[in-house]
Amino acid sequence: MKDLLLSFLRHLLLFVLAFFWLVPIVWLVCTSFSAYPGINISHFFPEQWSIENYRSLLFGTDTVAQFPRWFWNTFVIACFTCVISTTFVLSVAYSMSCMRFGARKALMNVSIILGMFPGVLAMIAVYFVLKTFGLTNSHLGLIMVYSGSSGLGYLIVKGFFDTIPESLREAAKLEGASEAKIFTSIVLPLSKPIIVYTVISGFLAPWMDFVYAKMILNSGISSDWTAAIGLYNMLEKTLINSYFARFCAGGVLVSIPISVLFIIMQRFYVEGITGGATKG
Amino acid sequence: MNVYVRYKDHNFIQKFWIALKDGNIWTKLSLFIMGAGYMAHRQIIKGLLVTGMEILFIAYMYFFGVGYLGKFKTLGTVQYESKFDVITMQNVVNDYDNSFMILLLGVITIVLILLFIAIWMVNMTSVYYIQDEDEQGHHINTFIEDIKEMFDNKFHITLLSLPVTGVLLFTIVPLIIMIAVAFTNYDQAHMPPTALFTWVGFTNFSKIISFGQSAEFAYAFRVVIVWTLVWALFATFTTYIGGILLAMLINSPATKLPKLWRTLFMVTIAVPQFVSLLLVRNFFADSGIVNSICSNLGITALLQQIGLVKDTITYIPFLTSPGWAMVMIVLINIWVGVPYQMLIATGVLMNIPYELVEAAKIDGATKFQIFVHITMPYMLFVTGPALLTDFVRNINNFNVIYLLTQDMYVTTNQTLAAANAKEVDLLVTWLFRLTSEYYNYKMASVIGCVVFVICAVGTLITFTRMMRAGREEDFK
Repeated sequence: MKDLLLSFLRHLLLFVLAFFWLVPIVWLVCTSFSAYPGINISHFFPEQWSIENYRSLLFGTDTVAQFPRWFWNTFVIACFTCVISTTFVLSVAYSMSCMRFGARKALMNVSIILGMFPGVLAMIAVYFVLKTFGLTNSHLGLIMVYSGSSGLGYLIVKGFFDTIPESLREAAKLEGASEAKIFTSIVLPLSKPIIVYTVISGFLAPWMDFVYAKMILNSGISSDWTAAIGLYNMLEKTLINSYFARFCAGGVLVSIPISVLFIIMQRFYVEGITGGATKG
Repeated sequence: MNVYVRYKDHNFIQKFWIALKDGNIWTKLSLFIMGAGYMAHRQIIKGLLVTGMEILFIAYMYFFGVGYLGKFKTLGTVQYESKFDVITMQNVVNDYDNSFMILLLGVITIVLILLFIAIWMVNMTSVYYIQDEDEQGHHINTFIEDIKEMFDNKFHITLLSLPVTGVLLFTIVPLIIMIAVAFTNYDQAHMPPTALFTWVGFTNFSKIISFGQSAEFAYAFRVVIVWTLVWALFATFTTYIGGILLAMLINSPATKLPKLWRTLFMVTIAVPQFVSLLLVRNFFADSGIVNSICSNLGITALLQQIGLVKDTITYIPFLTSPGWAMVMIVLINIWVGVPYQMLIATGVLMNIPYELVEAAKIDGATKFQIFVHITMPYMLFVTGPALLTDFVRNINNFNVIYLLTQDMYVTTNQTLAAANAKEVDLLVTWLFRLTSEYYNYKMASVIGCVVFVICAVGTLITFTRMMRAGREEDFK
């Protein structure tokens, strides 16, 4: 009897917590289906349901809301960032894990120290550098900012490469394979989970980022924006009453692919870490 | 035995010195014409390429570098002037100095010079190696073989060159420039190209520590830095403890459907922060839905009676009055941060040595005792360094503060407003506002330097902690 009561209390507690955690999310989804375009402050659930917000967001673009355009911009930026940063991260990780050269220790120490300083600090100066070369308000500049320093985030991948048995590489060496060959034909095929993890996290960065996009795409031309900036702009004081429901619809549309990728990434991350452990 | 093996314990300065001392005439000539040594030993293309690079560098220095370095001391002296030319009927602009360009390209030039010196010294060692190989009658690589080497034993050079350049351009050069701007008077009144700015020494730094009259920056700085540290402390510990407790609750064998519960909590982190936080801020707005519900339920009136809400307002100022906003920000951060910590804690909890817990149970320890004496120490031991990293990350937690308070929170404190700060600002959000809205780059850079120092101290502590933890591991 006591056990049953305890179990009930335990699940009740979890239920209450989950309720608090999900209330805003439920509100987001509900408001996105509301027929009223502004914020409904008197009712939690909309009085009239409609899919008008999604329709106008996707097909009825105006000067304020150009959601398909923003989505496409973010997608293109994310693809380029993903390719460049994955290449950088894998290159650095292979050099640091599988090769031995004079400056290796020094480079690793520098990278650890630099990696602990958050990017926001160098933000103003990055902005100036881009401005000097005329790269502000361009997607190229944003891609460069997202992927430029990505080589610093190599540690997780290096940890994985470290667990790949050295004997495999040595055997290939004896067969006459070059380092490039070992990298592409032995190490990479063995590292699928961690590559998927790197690719997804590189792809997600531009979707999640707000600061850099806000700083670099500051011209006010809404067709240049990314999804984050566009949605943020919908909540300007003068716009919020006619665009809040559409903001919610946009939020839902952005969140769905991100959530899916995020959950896949978590799975591959765990697989990468534990898979490495059994091999080592 | 080649040169690299023979002198493997020497650092590159010593190797350079040996090459200089023992090199033949061609090797010594490579001091001036970098490719000379290669060409003398049948590596014509490589020699030409290296010499070409040297010529490019010298040309850059001659045409641009020396000019920028010469002006670097003053950051330019020729003021921008625009005169109307009566003959051509057009505005004519003089050959003015752009202080920012001089600063930026000056820094880039200095970095280039340092890089060149390093390459020049390594080049000497490599020329000496070729000479040595040739003297011993070994095979000298052809150019094709050299290229092949770049994909074999020197593959790291191929792999690292681009990522390192990226880090240099997008992390190291900006950091140097940020530090340099803190020592200039670069602000709205000194904006290139129409105005010059120049070095002012420690003036800006003294502004944030002065106590005298018109010391609004010093006042704002004290307010903001105290809140930044308090925030970082609360944000780190609440999410950390909350994450562990939640993970224990979900992972306990008595809990049904742990996967379902975990997924429910993960939904909040899968939604991007700019969506979830902007949503929450409207949720708690002065005329938002939570306020109307509270008002209907009589909570607002109750809070007014006990004095938590002023009588002059009819709503709960969740995100608009200092005290309420600070508490709400920490609470909302718990909402955002606990699921993350839960994910991390789940991984660590699964690795707690089971024997320890069993032994404690046999000895009659209560669940609470197990938590205090086994679970917590183990978690702290494993995640201790991460806790400090989290602290540093929270000091720079731009998203939560900016997205929750920008355009929402207006300060009523005149002194703070004079310094463009707010009670709920972190150093980084203040820095961001100073640059993006008020063009006060000099003060923003000073704040940047302060954050840099705080982070460096945090990083150092983390490092020493990690070293100590590593030794403990060895000891076991």
